[in-house]
Amino acid sequence: MSTNKLNSPAELVALKERLEKNRNANKTVVTVCAGTGCMACGCDAVLKTFREECANDRLENEVEIKATGCHGFCERGPLVVVHPLGVFYQRVKPADAKLIWEQTVKGGHLVNKLLYRDPQSNQIVKNEKDIPFYKKQMRIIFGKNGFMDPTAINDYILLGGYQALAMALTKMTPEQIIDEVKKSGLRGRGGGGFPTGKKWATCRAVKVEPKYTICNADEGDPGAFMDRSLLEGNPHQVIEGMLIGAYAIGSHEGFVYVRNEYPLAVKNLTIAIKAARDCGFLGENILGTGFSFDIEISRGGGAFVCGESTALMASLEGKVGEPRAKYIHTVESGLWDKPSNLNNVETWANVPPIIERGAEWFASIGTDNSKGTKVFALTGKVNNTGLVEVPMGITLREILYDIGGGVPRGKKFKAVQTGGPSGGTLIVETAEPKIHASMVAYGDLRDEDEAISLLDLPVDFDELTRAGSMMGSGGMIVMDEDSCMVDIARYFIHFLTEESCGKCVPCREGLVVMLNILQKISEGKGTIEDIEYLEELSQVIIDTSLCQLGGSAPNPVRSTIRYFRQEFLAHVIDKRCPAGVCKDLVSHAIDNTCNGCHACLKSCPTNAIVGEPKRLHYIIQDKCIQCGACYQICRYNSIKRIKHGEGDKLQERARELWQPPLKKVTAEVA
Amino acid sequence: MDKAKITIDGQQIEVDDGSYVLEAAKSLGIEIPTLCYYPYMVPYAACRICCVEAHGAGGWSKIVTACNYPVWDGLEIFTDTPRVINARRTNLEMLMANCAPVPVLQRLAEQLGITEPRWKTGSNYTCILCGLCVRICDEVVGAHALAFINRGAKRDVSTPFQLDSESCILCGACAKHCPTGYIKMEEIENRYIVHQEMNLSPNAAITLPFRQAVPNVPQIVRENCIHFKTGGCMVCAKVCPKDCIEYGDRPNFEEVEVGAVVIATGFDSFDPTPMKQYGYGKYPNVISSEEFEVMNNAAGPTGGKIVMENGAEPRAIAILHCIGSRDHDYHKYCSRVCCMYSLKFSHLVKEKTSAEVYQLYIDMRSFGKGYEEFYSRILDEGVNVIRGKAAEVVPSGYRQHEEGHLIVRCEDTLIGKYREIPVDMVILSTALEARRDAKEFGRKFNISTGADGWFIEAHPKLAPVSTTTEGIFLAGACQGAKDIPDAVAQGGAAAAQAMKLMAQGEVMMDAAYAVIDEAFCSGCKMCNDMCPYTAISFDDAKKVSVVNSALCKGCGTCVAACPAGAIMARHFTDEQIYAQIEGILA
Amino acid sequence: MTVATEPKYDLQSKIDEIVGEYGAKPTALIMILQDVQKHYRYLPEDALRAVAKSMKLPLAQIYGVATFYRTFTLKPIGKNHICVCTGTACHVRQAVVIVDKLERDLGIRAGETTANGEVSLETVNCLGACALGPLVTANGIYYGNMTVNKVEKMMSDVLHKKRVSETTEEAA
Repeated sequence: MSTNKLNSPAELVALKERLEKNRNANKTVVTVCAGTGCMACGCDAVLKTFREECANDRLENEVEIKATGCHGFCERGPLVVVHPLGVFYQRVKPADAKLIWEQTVKGGHLVNKLLYRDPQSNQIVKNEKDIPFYKKQMRIIFGKNGFMDPTAINDYILLGGYQALAMALTKMTPEQIIDEVKKSGLRGRGGGGFPTGKKWATCRAVKVEPKYTICNADEGDPGAFMDRSLLEGNPHQVIEGMLIGAYAIGSHEGFVYVRNEYPLAVKNLTIAIKAARDCGFLGENILGTGFSFDIEISRGGGAFVCGESTALMASLEGKVGEPRAKYIHTVESGLWDKPSNLNNVETWANVPPIIERGAEWFASIGTDNSKGTKVFALTGKVNNTGLVEVPMGITLREILYDIGGGVPRGKKFKAVQTGGPSGGTLIVETAEPKIHASMVAYGDLRDEDEAISLLDLPVDFDELTRAGSMMGSGGMIVMDEDSCMVDIARYFIHFLTEESCGKCVPCREGLVVMLNILQKISEGKGTIEDIEYLEELSQVIIDTSLCQLGGSAPNPVRSTIRYFRQEFLAHVIDKRCPAGVCKDLVSHAIDNTCNGCHACLKSCPTNAIVGEPKRLHYIIQDKCIQCGACYQICRYNSIKRIKHGEGDKLQERARELWQPPLKKVTAEVA
Repeated sequence: MDKAKITIDGQQIEVDDGSYVLEAAKSLGIEIPTLCYYPYMVPYAACRICCVEAHGAGGWSKIVTACNYPVWDGLEIFTDTPRVINARRTNLEMLMANCAPVPVLQRLAEQLGITEPRWKTGSNYTCILCGLCVRICDEVVGAHALAFINRGAKRDVSTPFQLDSESCILCGACAKHCPTGYIKMEEIENRYIVHQEMNLSPNAAITLPFRQAVPNVPQIVRENCIHFKTGGCMVCAKVCPKDCIEYGDRPNFEEVEVGAVVIATGFDSFDPTPMKQYGYGKYPNVISSEEFEVMNNAAGPTGGKIVMENGAEPRAIAILHCIGSRDHDYHKYCSRVCCMYSLKFSHLVKEKTSAEVYQLYIDMRSFGKGYEEFYSRILDEGVNVIRGKAAEVVPSGYRQHEEGHLIVRCEDTLIGKYREIPVDMVILSTALEARRDAKEFGRKFNISTGADGWFIEAHPKLAPVSTTTEGIFLAGACQGAKDIPDAVAQGGAAAAQAMKLMAQGEVMMDAAYAVIDEAFCSGCKMCNDMCPYTAISFDDAKKVSVVNSALCKGCGTCVAACPAGAIMARHFTDEQIYAQIEGILA
Repeated sequence: MTVATEPKYDLQSKIDEIVGEYGAKPTALIMILQDVQKHYRYLPEDALRAVAKSMKLPLAQIYGVATFYRTFTLKPIGKNHICVCTGTACHVRQAVVIVDKLERDLGIRAGETTANGEVSLETVNCLGACALGPLVTANGIYYGNMTVNKVEKMMSDVLHKKRVSETTEEAA
């Protein structure tokens, strides 16, 4: 590291000024997103091409090629932004990189085919910030990601990094910091939404040494990856947040518990910690203020339950991740029975902006009880998947339509799942009287209430909880008409039976019982009683589970029954899976819109599909194993999933068409 | 410690702050069912059966587990609301849905009014994963031989790699606390007769030295105690209400100066295992006389009942005399007491059971006051007395008509017939033999043992309690097999001898003893080893040998042996002897 | 099960070396096991015993940890490691169809290794690249937006060790 150790806040300011002076504002910077999403799409090859071109043209001094953290718009990766023009290119292949180099970097022209085209208006959008996906976002956590190389601490300092730390250490007492965080209304972003300031205050009040500061980066929620992107793209902001927190509660040792499945996050964080140590932000006598703090990385072993604070601490101690009762809080007795303050990655990342810009500013964003922004991982059946950072209180409609861009392939929105396996599935399909009736039956609505869809639900901690889900760590999975709610419920319970630590009875045994019942229902063997059993079991599991994993485990089932009781009833009474997912209740058939493209025929593993090119195809019902491969392939929505046993009804014409050769085959065989 | 006032089901109680609800409820006599609770470990709260409803100020209420919910001032607990009962029942049903119908669950189900769980998932585990075994091994024993493995629905209890664990100390704590019998101790040795319970348990670490020991105080056997193996456990100290357990205690050696010693070390009971023909150690119902005595003891493991290994009452018992006595291969002597105690056994068996009793003897030796009369009485009680030593004991089942468990084969010498007697139990009247450490022990006191191992008295007729060493006396069976009256009589005599010495206050010594003339002694030490009474020692400072006149018997061995002629027997000097000779000749 | 290729004394010194990097702190147990697994591609019994010896921890605790966390495997895995993400986002995008297809083609169930030791198939609950679902990783290389049609191509790439970027490029 070229930077020498900084011994006072003044030296930090001086360093920043020096860096600013050295920077050429007009220098062309090509940033390539090197987040995991873009990495998977081959951004390293793009990056390589840029570097090669740059070297060939001997422009190293004029042009800087930068691999940055995640920009969020993973759907369109790999992403390339050319500064200072601010041109945003998407889906860039290595060959395109050459083109960009020639045209934009050297020539200053745009490459139109790589620019973002708004699907609605068909307008070309040049700048990143004008793309609808980014327009409604408010990126106070992710803002720096696109401008910095996560492995270069100078980039972070240049963007104003560690200023908040310097301010906190020199101008504020720990009590003032806690007060500021309290006033900001920041709540834990890991799931529960516990007020962060209050937590810190309790931890500070405990008169036991040493105290530990822990960062929970064991992002186990399937469908959430904002912590990963933060650690990969901007690890320093998390470190800075932890430093401020540690100073506030009086802790000198910190741990980051990060999933081993995130190798890039581990790598970047390791580099960042080392750089911070070299610069004097970590270690003894930080910035000459006498405060000491250091961070160790601990790589997790892959267990969803380790996202629970007590289980995480057990895991940190080198034991199996078994939670214990939280009748005594971890801030009083946590890691090695010492006071331990645990917050998740996003929470820590929120701290520096609060200190830097003040509690009032932060509190002005969001709703009454939920302040600031929240990063959501928007995934599933939505056009613009990726990470979105939005102010609290934004409606689901805005997220799904304005930012997400609607459902692909012209399907209908059905539901949105938030909070991962601990959260719930919320209905967002257009209000239907049928569903309204089921909600009335459940007692969630009175008859005179209007039938609603939750599309206009403002998203914050309390509203989501009230609706039967939770914020969780911010996974937001969109489902369309092809998703079966029984299947989703079964999926989550299955996930949880595997991820439960197995310590307490309700979670270990109760979930197995629930899974068994859901399995029965999805096989068409369920009864009305089974739905009641599910509700009863849910209540007891929530009441008596030892930790929050069990305590929230039945949420996916409860919420799906609450909003989609009709669909459960369809499985139980009509023995029908409306979405066509439950294999035992479904038949695949081809309707008359088939244009005979042959794609399905090739994909069929059992050769159940017959048909000549450009003619109507036919699925031989006896051979079909309902694997769904053809359904996934068909671009014309010609494959239908209908009630089991009714396949041939739909295929009458096709069958007639194919009867003769079928007969011939049988004759030959005979 | 601060106190907290809490209410449980309407009853107020004041308990230590930080203690748990379950304990408080217990002290009020309110029973809360549990599956994973063990009072000497950190509460685990895994079974959730002990859940109760906690109410606090502001009207909130929630379900908590009683075993680990710490009390606080003003807490209100309800143990039997419908919500609590429902939670307990459903949790139990969940367990039962996945587990085999083990008794511990069945019992609890009955208590909670469940006949059949509403769900059954098809799995049928015996283990209910209460974790008692793992936690006992970790927290109490400290052997760390067991662990929870896997997770979620696949969780199990196992040793590493499902192999025999090297760190297991075979204490059996896990098996003992397993409520379902999922963990078992494997029997390695076959011998498991009832009398194995002579101590509190097979390898108990806390035992009485022997039954009816005085003082009747248990002691810790270090070799068996978990605490001395791993440093853990200490449960006994936690349960002892009087804080009597002291791990630091060590055996104490005290030196006492005495003027007389009475040796009364008793005898050993002959071990009949080598006499293969009687099947001791092989057949569980062949027992020694000592084991019979333990069984017969009202405070013994069977409560004084005479039962077979399977707990049933025997229908016929054979008592075999002279096991190890009057036998050229073992002890040639007669043990003197066996005939009479065997007759006593017959009497006891007749009194307590309706079993047939057979006595197999060589000669009936019922000398002594009232003994012959007792023999007659036994005969009147209908005991079968067969003259003839038993040849062997074999298991029954050779032939179809055989009854009982065992067959005793013998020759009835009075009628001159070979007999096979079917019995359920055989008692071996084992010989009395000298204690196995008698020789070594005798050496310490400078007394010798005879060919059969008993201590030798100074004179069989004239000094039956004295030994060749002055001030050391013998009493009881250490001197030879004898019955209680004889032993008591001898004990009295020995005591009188010792008291005689004490009463005198000073000891009259024989005037004849050896003295060493230091001027002539060359310090060759030849006399030191020669002295039969260890009366001569070597004075290192003066480099001469010295005679302890209190020990010296004036035998003259050293006088004759001294090469320098430096030792002289007082009153037996050469001059005196010459003078005596001259006197006789004159 | 022993590691045939490596004599025992070497194993202990290798383990000592790995443990030494972390200073034998119990906190580092999980990370030490990860490194051991990285070296041997699974956790051999002897290696776990060596870790217990080196760290002075009860073997039972190490065995418990090794079976609790999903990262660890006590069985040798195949030369090629196919991992299908079945996180929620991938699930709603039909990841199960991909798993079915792979199971059929390879003739094994998820969590198993083919008889010739070539391929191990595994499902994982989320790889944190949900925007690309359904997602498959083959030997650590990400294949995003998978469909059944791309499976065969991917498998032939995996078995013939083709370059990464070509395939992913087409996939995109």
